[in-house]
Amino acid sequence: MSFEIINPTTTKELLSVVKNLKRKKFRFGAGCTDLLLELRKKPEENLTVINITQVKDAVFTGIKKTSKGLTIGSRVTAHNIVMNEEIKRNFPVLHEAALNLASTQIRQVATVGGNLCTASPSGDIACALMTLGANCEIINENGRRRRIPIHDFHTGVRATALKRGELLYSISIRGNEKNKKRIFSRFIKIGTRKSMECSVVSLAYHIQTDIKGKIIHAGIAIGSSAPTIRSTDSACKFLAGKNIFEISENEKKEFAEKVVGYASPISDIRATAWYRKEVLYNISKGIFEDILSNEE
Amino acid sequence: MFKELKIIGKPTPKHDAHIRVTGKAVYGHDIVLPGMLYGAILRTEHPSAEFTIDISAAKKIPGVVCIITADDIDTNNISYKRDHPILKKGEVNCIRDEIAAIAAETKEIAQQALKLIKVKYKIRKGIYGPFEALKEDAPQINKFISGKFQNKNIAETFHYEHGNLEEEKKKSAAIVKRRFTLPRMTHACMGTSNITASYNKTDGKLLLYSSTQVPFLYQRDMAHALKMNPSDIRIIQPVIGGGFGSKLDMYPFEPICALLSMKTGRPVQIIYSREEEFIASPTRQPMIIDLTAGVDKKGNFTFREINIVKDNGAYTSWGATTPFVIMQAFSSLYKVGACMFDATAVYTNNVFAGSFRGYGNPQATFALERMIDLLAEEIGMDKAEIRLLNANEKGETTGQGLHYETCGHKECLETVITKSKLKTQKSEVSKHSSKKSTQKRFVSGIGYASMLHVGGGAKIYRSDGCGTTLKIDPYGYCTIITGSNEIGQGSETVLAMIASEELGIDLKKIKVINTDTDIKPWDVGVHASRTSFVAGNSLLGAIKILKEKLNKKANELLKTSDEEFEYENGFIKSSISGNSIALDKVVREMHFSHPNELAIASYFYEPSSQVQNKEYKGNVSGTYAFASQAIEVEVDTYTGNVSVKNVWVAQDVGKVLNPLLLDGQIHGGILQGMGYALSEELLMKDGKILNPNFHNYKMLTASDIPEIDFFPIETNDKQGPYGAKGVGEAPLIPTAAAIANAVCNALDIDIIELPITPEKVLKAIHKNI
Repeated sequence: MSFEIINPTTTKELLSVVKNLKRKKFRFGAGCTDLLLELRKKPEENLTVINITQVKDAVFTGIKKTSKGLTIGSRVTAHNIVMNEEIKRNFPVLHEAALNLASTQIRQVATVGGNLCTASPSGDIACALMTLGANCEIINENGRRRRIPIHDFHTGVRATALKRGELLYSISIRGNEKNKKRIFSRFIKIGTRKSMECSVVSLAYHIQTDIKGKIIHAGIAIGSSAPTIRSTDSACKFLAGKNIFEISENEKKEFAEKVVGYASPISDIRATAWYRKEVLYNISKGIFEDILSNEE
Repeated sequence: MFKELKIIGKPTPKHDAHIRVTGKAVYGHDIVLPGMLYGAILRTEHPSAEFTIDISAAKKIPGVVCIITADDIDTNNISYKRDHPILKKGEVNCIRDEIAAIAAETKEIAQQALKLIKVKYKIRKGIYGPFEALKEDAPQINKFISGKFQNKNIAETFHYEHGNLEEEKKKSAAIVKRRFTLPRMTHACMGTSNITASYNKTDGKLLLYSSTQVPFLYQRDMAHALKMNPSDIRIIQPVIGGGFGSKLDMYPFEPICALLSMKTGRPVQIIYSREEEFIASPTRQPMIIDLTAGVDKKGNFTFREINIVKDNGAYTSWGATTPFVIMQAFSSLYKVGACMFDATAVYTNNVFAGSFRGYGNPQATFALERMIDLLAEEIGMDKAEIRLLNANEKGETTGQGLHYETCGHKECLETVITKSKLKTQKSEVSKHSSKKSTQKRFVSGIGYASMLHVGGGAKIYRSDGCGTTLKIDPYGYCTIITGSNEIGQGSETVLAMIASEELGIDLKKIKVINTDTDIKPWDVGVHASRTSFVAGNSLLGAIKILKEKLNKKANELLKTSDEEFEYENGFIKSSISGNSIALDKVVREMHFSHPNELAIASYFYEPSSQVQNKEYKGNVSGTYAFASQAIEVEVDTYTGNVSVKNVWVAQDVGKVLNPLLLDGQIHGGILQGMGYALSEELLMKDGKILNPNFHNYKMLTASDIPEIDFFPIETNDKQGPYGAKGVGEAPLIPTAAAIANAVCNALDIDIIELPITPEKVLKAIHKNI
């Protein structure tokens, strides 16, 4: 494995580097936790890696509260997410997803943008962002920007909506609903070990309710269950208006079936499709038990 | 007389801790010799095939200095069965097979040249299961064996028996039969396999920087392989990044590296990548254990009938000999009237197994301790009670002839049973109401298991001894030249502590020399949890001789005639007059005044154990270690995940020498045992390894360490140094068994296979509904 590295230090420099390299083979590298593995497996000749970790750009590297919610630069690390109080308080699902990513060491370098752009069906941060109705801001080599909903960002296994010369610049998430009083928000990662794990199945939920528990808004997404991370819209709609503390057994089952409806898992050496569906069904049902038992 | 100990038994940091944590330690990977070349090995792409090879294109690459294939070398086969050619000629039989090797100016050139070697394969179907290999019409896999066995694919057999099997069967109130399946686990040492070879063409001597655990046996094996004189080979062990048994045998890459150096006349280094480490290092021996066992109506164990089939892979390594230890567990852990044991190693086109911490004992203990739970259930007896009833005792000589001069088995059991019950208050009663509990998502269970292991070496060679040369210099510093070696287990520290204790010399003034076969006296090597026991005793013997010399001089200088002196803080003190003299002064007087004498002593310690007879009977170890574990698990019935909540460990260590290092052995062992129980398996399909990486080989991490309560049991065995027994392997041995029992206790399921993955648990729960 060998490659050239270019280290732009400003956004302007970064864009001009991209422009210059547009007809050549290049890749973006930030934490490189996925990139190096990929290149070791499949070395590429005459490759240039554009190291984006030196770029000084407040939006690109920061987490910023806005009037509409929160903007997270794509170069923000998993560690930055874990340490951010605003996220911990208002978007626990994202906090938990980042906290469960790999290990302390990896979290220091692994970035939000990397997690999204790798476009793995098991991306933890990407799965959490899906429940928050995030939007992706994309920038191209000419500095032109466009926004797409996160639902449209992943187009297949390891495939994204990014065009050649485009870079994921930031992700914005909508603030919680004005009338919400309570948040039930978790990232459930199923795997064999507690660290350094790639989820076998994951389930992210971010549910906002009024003071009595009536569901105002629900975001639910699943990972490692289909070629891409899936938002389970019909399951979310099913919950709207219901009281989270009063979901009946039959409703739990119906809900879980709706979630599993979005899954089309494969069997691989980590788990069979049967296992993935079975567990997804169980933990989907389990959401409400978790919530109730935490109330007690 | 009980002497108060000053250092022994006190928490003492590792002698080499500072170089390890500051990155100053020189591992094999750090060695660079002048003019050194980099070696790389081409392995087969197919586990069973005939092949032709063309190296002409690779040879043309600038920077490639040497390429060897089987045609270029004159060597003997390796392995204790001599069934393993170093480079394979014309056919390959396992995915590790080495077919060519390159020495080049850089690693990159070596890798580039590997890709240019053209190999044409004629792929064969291959045999990937031992039972398939035993079929009459199966082709012969290994063509290098003598054929002394009936079946052409049998590599090794063991038969052992004691007692009257038929009588004991008649006595039995319950008989249970199960087939247990044990997986391939790999050592995954932090430091990957490495070797640096430097052959001197002018004097015909070979210098090897090797991570072997057994330098003197390795020297002999290397000499045989290369058709050299063993004494012309010098082995230096750099700091070793983990052994766990993996470095107990010599593997082809090592003589290959030596051959590349011999051909080029330049030093050559081979370092495995992590992927290569997963593919080409030995594993724990996978096996299928058919166990039938009985119990009488009072709960006494009556008999055990064992039939084991081991997947030997394509060549033989130490995995084939694990029955030495396995039969000890079946014949002698808990009292049992009769035992009939058969084990067969069968060649297949899979990868071969080597030795791994526990040496077959975790496999045996898993089967045996699961069986004890099943027998208890069968006769309706409490699982703690049945174990206590049958526990081994002090003074016992087992059917196999193992003699327990000291034995902490019962105390170990009582300790973990009491301590675990105190905390969990979970009894058999709640287990039987499990119909209710399975409706809950999280279900707890508790399991017990014990183990027996050699604790005073294992006499499987003619000698299980260890030599020591000890010297004190004129400045009062002490050098221990020991035959034993350090693979991270902490033997240097324990030896320095012993010398400090006995000679009153500060630990900082003690050096341990243990890495060079040209200097150090003979020792079998690091295995069988033997180093502290054997090397410790050897050092104590040398200290005794040296003290006699020092005492004589001290009497002369102090004008006394004492027999006893106290060695303290660098002084030798007369116990009668109270007069004292500095130790370094005594040494200077010895060295520099007439009659001049060195402050040096040598001693060879040989344990009192016996080599077993042809029926595998005899007292094979100087002493025996016992341990019990109680483990509490919580099973998530939604996902099948097993979470280990609490581990209570009681281990008969004889005597605690260094609580810090002992704790390290316990914690590391438990985690390795948990991996064996729950997550670790080198997955194979048609002879190929599916998960040669940490991503999919699920070794547990620090985050998975549960609460561990450790209770050392001190039985003070008079054979051991200060009463100590071997401790290294024991913590891992009963862990998988106790976890399996705990999971079965939680869910009312019957686990007969490791690892207990979430998917297997969820399937078992489904079956039960």
